[in-house]
Amino acid sequence: MLSRAGFAAVSALCVFAFAAHAETVKVGVVQGLSGPPAIVDFGESYLQGIKAAVEDYKAAGGKYQIELIVYDDEANPQRAVSMVQRLITNDKVPLVIGTVSSGNVLAFAPILQRAGVPLMAGPSIATNIVSQFIDENPSFIFRCSMVEKYQIDAILDWGVKNFKKIGLVHSTTGYGNFAAKEIKEGLKQRGVELVAVEAVAPSVTDLTPQMLNLKNAGAELALNFNEQFELMFRAMAKLSYKPVVAGNWGISSRKVQEVVGNDLIEGSVMGQALDLAQPKAKAFDERMKKIYGDKYRWPVVAALGYDGARISLMAIDKAGNDPKKIRDALEQVDGYDAISGTPPKPFGPKDHECLDKKDVFLGVWRKGEVVRLQ
Amino acid sequence: MRGRLRYLVAAALIAAFPLLGVNVFYLQLAQQVAFVSIAVLGLNLLIGLSGQLSLGHMGFYAIGGYGSAILATTYGWPLWASTLAGLLVAAIIGGLVGIVALRARSHYLAMATLAFGYIVEILAQRWIDLTGGTMGLFGVPQLNFGDFEHGGIYFFWLVAGALLLLQIVNDYVMQSAWGRNLRAMKESESFAAIVGLNVSLWRFGVFVASAVLAGLAGVFFVHQNGYISSDAFNLAQSLTFLIAVVIGGLGHPYGAIVGALILTVLVQFTAVLYDYSLVLYGGILLLVMLVYPGGAAGLLSGIYSRLRPTPKAVRVAANERAELDDAFRGRPGEGGAGESLLEIDNVTKRYAGVTAVNRVTTTVRRGTVHSLIGPNGAGKSSLINIISGLYAADGGRICFRGQDITGLPAHARARLGIARTFQNLQLIYNLSVLENVMLGAQSERTGFVAGLGRWCFSSSFEADLRRRALALLGFFGLAPYADMTPGDLSYGHRKLCELARAVMQQPTLMLLDEPIAGLNNEEAAEIADAVRRLRAAGITLLIVEHNMSFVMDVSDRITVLDYGEKIADGAPDEVRNDRRVIDAYLGVEAVE
Amino acid sequence: MSLPDFVQILVTGLAMGSIYMLMANGLFMTHLTTGALNFGQGDFLMIAAFVTVSLLTAGAPTFVALPAALLVLVVLGVLLERVAIRPLERQGARDSGILAWILTTAGFGLILENVATLAWGKSSHYAPPLFTSRKENVISVFGVGFFVEELVIAGIALAVIAALYWFLYRTRSGKAIAAVAFNRDAAALLGIDVRGAIVASYVIMALLAGTAGMLVAPITSVQAHMGLIYTLKGFVVLNIGGFTNPLGILVAGLVFGVAEAFCNYFDSAFGDLYPFIFIIAFLAIRPTGLFGEAKADVR
Repeated sequence: MLSRAGFAAVSALCVFAFAAHAETVKVGVVQGLSGPPAIVDFGESYLQGIKAAVEDYKAAGGKYQIELIVYDDEANPQRAVSMVQRLITNDKVPLVIGTVSSGNVLAFAPILQRAGVPLMAGPSIATNIVSQFIDENPSFIFRCSMVEKYQIDAILDWGVKNFKKIGLVHSTTGYGNFAAKEIKEGLKQRGVELVAVEAVAPSVTDLTPQMLNLKNAGAELALNFNEQFELMFRAMAKLSYKPVVAGNWGISSRKVQEVVGNDLIEGSVMGQALDLAQPKAKAFDERMKKIYGDKYRWPVVAALGYDGARISLMAIDKAGNDPKKIRDALEQVDGYDAISGTPPKPFGPKDHECLDKKDVFLGVWRKGEVVRLQ
Repeated sequence: MRGRLRYLVAAALIAAFPLLGVNVFYLQLAQQVAFVSIAVLGLNLLIGLSGQLSLGHMGFYAIGGYGSAILATTYGWPLWASTLAGLLVAAIIGGLVGIVALRARSHYLAMATLAFGYIVEILAQRWIDLTGGTMGLFGVPQLNFGDFEHGGIYFFWLVAGALLLLQIVNDYVMQSAWGRNLRAMKESESFAAIVGLNVSLWRFGVFVASAVLAGLAGVFFVHQNGYISSDAFNLAQSLTFLIAVVIGGLGHPYGAIVGALILTVLVQFTAVLYDYSLVLYGGILLLVMLVYPGGAAGLLSGIYSRLRPTPKAVRVAANERAELDDAFRGRPGEGGAGESLLEIDNVTKRYAGVTAVNRVTTTVRRGTVHSLIGPNGAGKSSLINIISGLYAADGGRICFRGQDITGLPAHARARLGIARTFQNLQLIYNLSVLENVMLGAQSERTGFVAGLGRWCFSSSFEADLRRRALALLGFFGLAPYADMTPGDLSYGHRKLCELARAVMQQPTLMLLDEPIAGLNNEEAAEIADAVRRLRAAGITLLIVEHNMSFVMDVSDRITVLDYGEKIADGAPDEVRNDRRVIDAYLGVEAVE
Repeated sequence: MSLPDFVQILVTGLAMGSIYMLMANGLFMTHLTTGALNFGQGDFLMIAAFVTVSLLTAGAPTFVALPAALLVLVVLGVLLERVAIRPLERQGARDSGILAWILTTAGFGLILENVATLAWGKSSHYAPPLFTSRKENVISVFGVGFFVEELVIAGIALAVIAALYWFLYRTRSGKAIAAVAFNRDAAALLGIDVRGAIVASYVIMALLAGTAGMLVAPITSVQAHMGLIYTLKGFVVLNIGGFTNPLGILVAGLVFGVAEAFCNYFDSAFGDLYPFIFIIAFLAIRPTGLFGEAKADVR
């Protein structure tokens, strides 16, 4: 029977020992993990990368015990804001990673900026997520994901050089409408007009009318900026119309490949930041396939999630539980060997994007694999 | 005043809550519960009280929110102005949809409101120039009264205060004639019409009110966080409101708050259990609908009332002379006894292939009991329906007190002083017997605000009304059943209840459709007695009946119909000996 | 627009219209006997699609996969009636009115969706063609390309509705269902097995939804949340066609499908808005549908 004092002494000792052993740092994650497949595919893939990064950090002997707190925002901005509030106020995390919908990120980024908690945005791709805050001194908003403008620029540069007639199919969701706007502006700057523009409502599952319009306009390059990427290919199959398809990085998803089939997807081009020909990328790809099986669908998104999380953990390793210090450490991270095209020093005081324009290239489906387009 | 204490307690709690050191997250959750409650409150009134379904209520939420956000952000309006403008737009659109709701019922209304919700969702998403689409509008001014640090507390007080005021109004509505009338309309529109309620106006009014409440919630929503995005407004949001109403307790005064609270907690749970969130929602829906249809508030009420017995309703000794005389008093009107009150002039009614009423002409004189008899199918009930306004005549005229009422709707005729009972009984089974009778007293309803004041501060709210109704029930021997529902009464007692309701209307003319059918001799005698009392009080009666002894006993005048045509019209003795009447209807005594 | 284009869109429209029409008739069946509409019917369609996809991808032949899917759906139909509809009758006409079965059937549907995500994941799935291998899926008729399934859908759907019509109005059991729809107590007094007729109507609904599911799977992609839009469009078609007659619903469905296809051709940006605006205006003018009857509210 321990006396009360004795018991207190033993407990204090345990706590002290434990604390000396490994302090816990919580990392908050908000992702789209339920709802439409277009969202969930992104969210789950990015989370797969994050989890792999945490494991690797532990295996490499990281200083801290990392606890991931994951909340689903159901692609709803109100929930996203509520979850972020919960993370910083209740769970008191010093860093947040997320989410899929750019609208959601733009909704909670101001909160994080004001509260002084760094955000590693991803896999959202809206161009202005980082640029909106970069002039704040200091900005707490970082991103490790594709940047819409870069991939559109890459596609347009290549498209305008190789094709005379270009058509566009975009969804009518916020993402699709903004992409359409950027594409139209980008083409205008390059002095080219689209021969056909078609929209796809979320509830439409058959694109025959839209593809007919593109075919009649003679489009040789069809830009696919509709979240349900596979629908365009299906319609093309029966119209015996085979333009080259180019679109955002969604087309690199293994799920799309499975649905569309290797024959139809052959030659389709997309924005990319992961070159599977690189040994490190390849090893990562194999490893993810082994862990997740066919739940692993999206190499580039998982890779960026991995890189974003690894970089965050490197910063946490240096700065501990202090959000402000983590922010500063992020800008100083150097010597990181990334899976994706992220450079060894991804950030700087005026650069909060993992991927710069030069890190984004075009990928193409060749014989069931996405490789770099030459 | 005692029951009103709870609102003071609530106000104190609201004032104290943010000062207790709750962190920002919980404060925001509390704000959210408050304004979601407001939207759900409106929905509760709409569906629970007036029985109109709206599957697209998110649309009004969005419209209110966008209205205020766009004006405040893009056009720089001050917040109080943009808020009012947002509510106004919500009211106008609510009115438009409300008009559709008048035409379409039940499934069709569900479809129309669903379509409306979709249209708003699509427009919000694609009219990017106006709404910003899914990227939304940023820098929407927050309702923090210029104080960023404490703004959240002020905002909470604002929203919770608004909710408290609306809850008070809501409780008043539910406990007064307003709620009673809505519940009656929900169950039987023809009943409502013949007691003098303009059903279309009421339904429309409640629809617009619920739209404005949803719009108000939307306004609070957008100014809470300073952003708005079309992703927040979709079909799922409409269903969320619906789920909150039902989980909380549809039709229950506190159903909205309880539902919003449960829903908010649920959302926080499913953020973690995201692989099972749908099973959770679906399971709760099934659970509530199948096992606890009264919702959580209903469940809690049931527990509460079992722990604390309800005080007995105020009991008045039946047969208090003064009360009864008052109750049986007809409406004062111009003209004296004997002059013509109701003129039926060549009225005709045809159904496909059958002429039910064929150019029937007769006059009912003030202060008399006038009976309408004839074989089955003679057109008696049709005629009563035409007079009361539920059927439209195909030809002819009807004049009441010298005024041509042929084109008037039923509720207008009731207002002029015509009351009726039904052959098949039209009682409101969702209300008590006492409330059924009280429904008759439409002409003395006080204004909304005056009534609200009386309800809040006076202990004699509706006391006169109740006493009069109880006295009537007492006269008909129904006083012990006052708090039961009509469904618990025997057929005979139900007929008496309906008669009491008709008397409560203090009409000038009463139309009784088979008042003693199904009653035994004693009960029939009571009715006969009541009929005489009514006549003595100056009320005119037009009675359809089969029972010849009853008819001969009470009537001053009898009209006989056969195959839709009038075949006799006069004093009982004349009619009894009329050849044609005997052939068609009365028959002769068998010769031994 | 050229003639081949016109035919292309017309066929697409007829195919999708047939799907909507099957859904609408399913809703009609349950409404007939119990006055309820299955708000989770799209999820029934989704389960049928998933079962078909799973079996076909696993290598089962079509003549095994399709009946298997239908069998699963029969079970679901019986279950729905038992769990979500029958208990409500005991409560009688309570405050919730029609809201009651909207929510129970919707709740049932949500549970089905969650079961699907747990069983098949949250992503989209590819449905192999029903009758051919992947490569020969497209056939060309006078220079216009169609999926085999598209041509077949309309035909199968028509056959199914013809069978339904014949069943309802020409067979004894069908007439029993119609009798129960008309007046349940009178039917019971006449010796008709009312409970059996009700369950039968739910089974028919499930079969119709299942047929729609397996027919639509190859021409679209299959995912757990695909169902809602089919429920809604089925509901729209039912409103237009009126709640009284399967043939009226058939006409309404085909017209709706074709109109939708042409709207998308001419204005894809707002094409999906038109049906909703149309339906609101339509209901304001003719609240009981093209072929429905107005019921007087006087007792």
